[in-house]
Amino acid sequence: MTASAHHQHAEIGHNDSGDGDFKTELLALIPFLRAFARSLTGNQEGADDLAQETLVKAWQSRATFIPGTNLKAWLFTILRNQFYSDRRRAWRQAPWDQDAAERIPGGGEDQVFSAQLSDTARALRCLSDEQREALILVGAGGFSYEDAAAICKCAVGTVKSRVARARKALMEILDGDDTLDGVSRPAEGDAAREIMAQLDRLTPPESGETGGKRRPK
Amino acid sequence: MQWDNTVSNEEKPNEKARAIRARQRAIGRELRRMYDDVAQEPVPDDFLDLLRKIDDAEDARTGKKVS
Repeated sequence: MTASAHHQHAEIGHNDSGDGDFKTELLALIPFLRAFARSLTGNQEGADDLAQETLVKAWQSRATFIPGTNLKAWLFTILRNQFYSDRRRAWRQAPWDQDAAERIPGGGEDQVFSAQLSDTARALRCLSDEQREALILVGAGGFSYEDAAAICKCAVGTVKSRVARARKALMEILDGDDTLDGVSRPAEGDAAREIMAQLDRLTPPESGETGGKRRPK
Repeated sequence: MQWDNTVSNEEKPNEKARAIRARQRAIGRELRRMYDDVAQEPVPDDFLDLLRKIDDAEDARTGKKVS
């Protein structure tokens, strides 16, 4: 949760209806949707498109959400479905493009991650979709195995084994790279600078760090 | 003698297992850091504009119903 998201609550979704509450909760979960989307797509622009599609879908389907259940898991399920259906569509339209994109290391979709986030991020791109999403949900997103299983539409045991295999594979990929031990620690400063540079590019100068200053035109 | 052998044979896999667990924890921290870094970014204006559009569309829809 970010401070800016809290500020933004005051601006959006402040009406008294249930829809307003729903929208306030959606707003609060946007940062996590962006994080999950980034881990699935591996690039920022595609991830934000995906997260926005998810918001629209979630809003349209809000009547099917059962209050009191896990909204974050519900949204992540929508996002994941959207990701795979977008990609299936991309495959149908241009099967060779997807193939080519996956074979280019450090290019296209890997660019953002590899520039800002080092070996682990790149190693993550080497995992299968199933292993990657399970590991991200459980290992980074803090979901229980049960919630991750619901999001990925598989058995709890399947999630457990995917996470275990993902962890093992990630370690093998990372430790197979003999430059890693020397590089990963000192590179943290560089990664932080790169992230800051990226934030600067993302944030228009006039809005600064306090999201609350943003106003609709 | 036999007992000593057993102990030393078991210690090596334990050390290895410990090293692997430590490595796994480090990778886990890095994964969480990657995820949290994105989650802590300010939400881009595009998202806020999108929610406002939803608001406007909703107002237009309910407005039509009333009139």
